[in-house]
Amino acid sequence: MVRIRVPMLPAPGELPWSASVNDTEVDIHVESNAILLDVLRDQVGTLGVKRGCDMGTCGCCSVLVDGEPRLSCLMLAHEAAGCALTTVEGLADGHHLHPIQETFTTHGGSQCGFCTPGFLVVISALLEENPEPNEAEIKAAIDGNLCRCTGYQQIVDSVRAASMIITSGKKTADATDPMPDPHPGMPTVEVESEELEVVPDE
Amino acid sequence: MRMPPFELHLPESLDSAMTIAGELADEDCDFDWIAGGTDLLPNYKWHLNSKPHVISLAKVSELSTLEPTHIGAMVRLQALATSDSCHPLLRQTSGTIASVMIRRSGTVGGNICLDTRCFWFNQGEEWRRSIDWCIKCDCGTGADCRVISHQNELCVATYQADLAASLLALDATIHLASPDGSRSLPLAEFFQEDGITRNVLKDGEMVTHLTLPDDAEDWQGDYQKLRLRESWDFPEAGIAAAWKIDGDGNLDGLRVASTALESIPRLHQELADEAREGWAGVESVNSLAVAVQKAVKPVNNTWFPPSYRKKMVRVLTRRALAPLERVEAAN
Repeated sequence: MVRIRVPMLPAPGELPWSASVNDTEVDIHVESNAILLDVLRDQVGTLGVKRGCDMGTCGCCSVLVDGEPRLSCLMLAHEAAGCALTTVEGLADGHHLHPIQETFTTHGGSQCGFCTPGFLVVISALLEENPEPNEAEIKAAIDGNLCRCTGYQQIVDSVRAASMIITSGKKTADATDPMPDPHPGMPTVEVESEELEVVPDE
Repeated sequence: MRMPPFELHLPESLDSAMTIAGELADEDCDFDWIAGGTDLLPNYKWHLNSKPHVISLAKVSELSTLEPTHIGAMVRLQALATSDSCHPLLRQTSGTIASVMIRRSGTVGGNICLDTRCFWFNQGEEWRRSIDWCIKCDCGTGADCRVISHQNELCVATYQADLAASLLALDATIHLASPDGSRSLPLAEFFQEDGITRNVLKDGEMVTHLTLPDDAEDWQGDYQKLRLRESWDFPEAGIAAAWKIDGDGNLDGLRVASTALESIPRLHQELADEAREGWAGVESVNSLAVAVQKAVKPVNNTWFPPSYRKKMVRVLTRRALAPLERVEAAN
């Protein structure tokens, strides 16, 4: 068998790269051949952008480039220079989650969560363009994202619920507020204080 | 996966792209054009025939013109799929390409110049080394073809671009530019039956745009494709048909093209002309479908076995031509 290695030479020099990532100006130097996904994860530090297949199949690496969802694994970093980039970290408004982030938690839109950032980014762009998408439009929008856990129905449900929040004009709850009672309406049990065993501090 | 090293050039106009291409050619530097990157970058990540220089067309805005009979090479596939001004057949076809996310990056020019694919070729470096490489990426070893051995002349990798078939059926003209000047030729003459050269593009030459004939709007058409997963896979067989109905409701023109079956997309003009003379509805549809099935020669290098793909050609042709089942020949 002939053994030949494809040469792995060091990349030609780094070039200045600047872009607005989640409304923060970033000025760094990146290699000429760098892929946007690598720059965002390794140099900018937005680890919400996931590397799934690295081939454009799964959509886990989706980011918004000037508001349009794009696959960061198939985009050269220098092509995105000067653009406004939004990753999943930039979707929330302060302490208020984006409606689709909130409804993903309430409707079981994510299980293992690996594909979730890609879905959230793509769906946020859909809702921005079309706040009341029908089922066919939702399915067409997430056609490029793969999820291996939930089976998509919960994701479609989450989009519908998020659409209702957006059209109602309400803001999502402050994520730092104490969680409400998870079982409202459950009868409280009266306990006599003598029945409680007090464990003394050691 | 780690990218191979290359120097990226980002021209902002066609002229400056041509200047860079000319300079690189003068210095004997090999380079690739990159449009959307959805085909080239996965191949680069697999270290498949990468080059030391890459010229990106992302900032060349003059290549993004989209008009009813003029389609720029940098028009995104998703823009074509959602455009009101392009031909309905092209809208339908581009809407079936890969997934919505790939269509947002992929371009018309990139789809036409799509690299041929083969399951012995589109693999990681270690995998390809384990089979002693292949003719399409022999890394200087003089490797044999893994699909049809002991021929070592012709690469049989499959050309799987959907738009090619529909553009052939609409009789498109392709326009090319290089540092030495520009030229135009019918799309049918653009492709070459070799999985390595693929087309007539010379070193440093690129596609600028495609044009459709002025009467394109009189033609209707349909595109049918076979693939493993409807959401994003490459076609395993693709049939485009376009036809023109005259004022009396009779068949005045017919073209059928196939893609994803060989190293070259084919326009089956003789078969279509033969069928059109004395067109007899369902009977003609069936006989033309059988003739197209006989004309294509898939090999065993994609997911589905060639015999199945060939059988499906008849089915897809019949489905594409279904609207003509009640149409008669023009006198």
